This record gives sequence, structure tokens and C-alpha cells, in this order.
Amino acid sequence: MPREAFQKQLSHLQDLVLEMGSMVDRAVDRSMTALLDRDPSIARTVVDNDKAVNAKNFECQNEVISLITQQAPMARDLRLVVSVAAIMTDLERMGDHAEGIARIVIMMQDEPLVKPLIDIPIMAGHAREMLRESIQAFVDQDVEAAYAVGKRDDEVDSLYDRIYHDLIQIMIGDPSTIEPSTHLLWVAHNLERIGDRATNIAERTVYSATGNLPQMDVSSY
Amino acid sequence: MTNETTTTTETGAETNLSTGRMAGGGVDVKATVAAAAAASPKKTSTDQVALSLNNVGVWYGQHEAVQGVSFDIYQRATTALIGPSGCGKSTLLRCFNRMNDLIPGTRVTGTISVEGVDIMGKDVDAVQLRRHVGMVFQKPNPFPMSIKENIAFGPKRLGLAKSKSQMDDLIEESLRDAALWDEVKDKLDEPGTSLSGGQQQRLCIARVLAVKPDIILMDEPCSALDPIATLKIEDLMRTLAKDYTIVVVTHNMQQAARVSDWTAFLLAGEERTGRLIEYSPTEQLFTTPRDKRTEDYITGRFG
Repeated sequence: MPREAFQKQLSHLQDLVLEMGSMVDRAVDRSMTALLDRDPSIARTVVDNDKAVNAKNFECQNEVISLITQQAPMARDLRLVVSVAAIMTDLERMGDHAEGIARIVIMMQDEPLVKPLIDIPIMAGHAREMLRESIQAFVDQDVEAAYAVGKRDDEVDSLYDRIYHDLIQIMIGDPSTIEPSTHLLWVAHNLERIGDRATNIAERTVYSATGNLPQMDVSSY
Repeated sequence: MTNETTTTTETGAETNLSTGRMAGGGVDVKATVAAAAAASPKKTSTDQVALSLNNVGVWYGQHEAVQGVSFDIYQRATTALIGPSGCGKSTLLRCFNRMNDLIPGTRVTGTISVEGVDIMGKDVDAVQLRRHVGMVFQKPNPFPMSIKENIAFGPKRLGLAKSKSQMDDLIEESLRDAALWDEVKDKLDEPGTSLSGGQQQRLCIARVLAVKPDIILMDEPCSALDPIATLKIEDLMRTLAKDYTIVVVTHNMQQAARVSDWTAFLLAGEERTGRLIEYSPTEQLFTTPRDKRTEDYITGRFG
């Protein structure tokens, strides 16, 4: 196989995406644990670890730039390399959303919950699966799996709708719940954004595999 | 479609060029052009055709160097011919102004039309043809005479200038169009060979421009030049493509990607016969090639 070194660099980029994907997945998982256990110390580890997520993104972006400079990738290779750069940006932002949830948990201290945490953990489960499936689809360059991720985002969006309306009703019913309700709304919003970013990754996967960049989902948020 | 064809013919008559005939052969040019129209808003299937190849083959004695090449080259655009060594790209380019006539035992089959005329016809004067279809070579080859005389050589023989002042104007215009005037205007009587490599190549381009061609063929025009001189020639090619049809053979894929609007990829098999594999808008060919072999070549995964 010609261009062995180049091939190695390309698979290293994919490894970085996988690595970053698990870092972000862990951050989302921990931020939800922090919320469910009402444990600010777990939340603080998420905030601290976000620096590592950001650093991993920079590391990868630099590798993308030097690979373009040194290897002048073309066609499928070029699409893969630019997709990695875009996906890393999405992952970095997903990390920020996990950090956002963690910061809310820290802010909430021990304020009572305005409603039991049922829909939000379900939403988090969907968002994490979307994240994992989008990354897997990218690594496998699997177009069908990528489209399946796009479809799942509808579930996350409708859960968000439901949570939003529930919380608005609670706030209307008792204005003293406005602040704690808003905290939960922010959590849900961060999860909704994670779903959108996973959809972006799925779109990039289709582009990388086929050369067409589809618009899978127009989120209303 | 009927209307479009009519438009092509009318404008074609005005500019004295052939109609947009779709050729058959190894590549589905109709599909290519339709895909091209979708991929690149600037280029459409009604673009004027400068040069039309139909089932072109080239034989060197018993060896078939190029086989069954059919595609249309569009006016006022740059078309790059790429492919590995021995794929027949230079051989094909040399057909466009019958430079292959000069190689004994060469036979060209199929048709190549310029301005609707089959240039392989017996009644076609190769010297006249080369006035319409100029050529720039790999190594700059100024004549062993002054800069001025290099430019004046063609126009003088063809009687393109009626007076000394007309000739001076033509020399200045050609050198300006070749982006060389400012560098040589004070030394027009110095030998062409006294210039740097990049300047010599631009002198050769000016020499081609002086005889007012429609099509300019370039065979690896930058392979003997340093990167700065190369970029100057590439800029010049971009500018010239507004008024001329340029066909360039290059080994440098980045160069093809930088300067051309269309790219044709040729490849020879075991028997060393070159065929057209893919002809697409350049942007499409370098980002989403349709043929696996094109993909393998441009990503460097050959062999």
C-alpha cells in the first residue's frame, strides 16, 4: 500500500475522534450523575476536565493543519480530514454543554427539585446514544447509521418540548419556582444542543463518505 | 434542449466555432456535462465548445498510445489533462495542433474539430492551424534573437502588422498580456535567452499571443520553473482563460486543481494504451471523483 505514513496519520485522526468522543461522553454521563446525586464535587470534576477536552481539540486541529500542509490530501482523504476538524469542533462544544450542566448543578446547591427527574435522564440517555452512534458511524463511514442518528434527534427535540411546557406550567402555577425551574430548563437545553451536535457529526459522516453534505434536521431551538 | 442547441449554433456561428456536439466513447460526456451543470453553476451544457474530440486514437507505428477518447473542451476555460506518465496526455495534447505530424509513423484516428472543422482533414494546413492553436512547451524555448524579435517573428511571417508602429503596438500588447512588459520594456533589444526561466516562459507565451490564437496548449509549462515563477505563470493562465481556451498537461495535481475549470484524467493499462477515465469540473474531480481509478490516482494510492 503506497503512502503508508499518510495512512497512519489518517487513522490517527480517527483515533483522536474516538478518544475525544469518549471524553465528551464521560463528561455528559458525569454531569448527569452530578445532577441525579446532587453532588457538586462530581460536577466540579466535569468543569475541570473540560480543559482537557479543549486541549484535545487543539491537538487534533493542529494535526489536521499539518496533515493538509504535508500531504495535500485529495478526494475521500480530503473530505475525511476536513470532516475530522468539523467533528472535533462539535465535540468540543458538546463538552461545553456537559460543563454547562455541571455548572448548573453547582449553582443549584441543595434547592428542592420542582419536579421529579424523569424526562431529563431519558433525554440524556438519547443524547449520549446519539453521540456514541454518530462517532461510530463516522469511524465506520456508515451512511445509513448516520441517517439513523439524524432521525433520533426528533425524539430528543420532542422530549425537550415536553419538559419545556411542563416547566412553564409549573412556573405559571407558582412564580416562586421560576429560578429552580429555569435551572432544569437550562439542563434540558444543554441536552437538546448535544443532540443537535450529534446530528452535525452524522451530517459530516455522510459528507465524508459520499461528498454530499445533507441537512438532516432543522432544529427549532 | 432544442432552444439551447439553437442558441449554441447561433452564437457559435458568430464566433465561428463548432456546435456543442456530445461525443460518445469511453466516457458518458452527456452525463458528465449534466453533472457538471449541477456541480458548478458557472459551467453549463450550453457552454461554447472550442475543441471537440470524437473517438480519438493515436498510433505510434504498431503501438496504440491513445484509444477512444471523446470529450468537448470548452471555450474561455482552462482544461487540465492529468494522469500518470505514459497515459497519453501529452500525445493527446499534441494532436490538437497536429504536432504529432512531425513524428514519423504516427497515425491519428477519430475526429478532432476546432471551429467545427476536422483538423485532421487533408485540406487543413498545419501551419495555419498552429496559428489558431498555439503551444507552450515544458522548457522555455525563446528563439536565439532579441526579446522584440521573438514576439515579432510570428506576426511578421503571417503579415499581421502593416507598419512598424503597428508591430510595436502588437509587441507591447503581447508582452503586457503575458505579464512581462514591465520587466522587459527597457531591454527589448536584449536576447530572449538573457531572461530568467520564468520570464523566458512568459516570453514564449507572449510569442504565442502575438499571433492571436484561439486556443493555447501548454505541455507541463511550469515543470522547469521555481515555485515563484510557477505561481506567476499560473496567475497568467487564470487571466488568459478569460479570453482564450487553455489546455494544459500537468504532472502537478495541485496545479491542475489551482488553474483549471475542467479536468480530464487519462490512464493506461498493462498494454500501455491511454484512455479517458473521467472528465469533470475540476472541483468535483478533486473532491468527489466518480471513478474509483480517479480516486486512487489523485489520492496517491496507485499500484
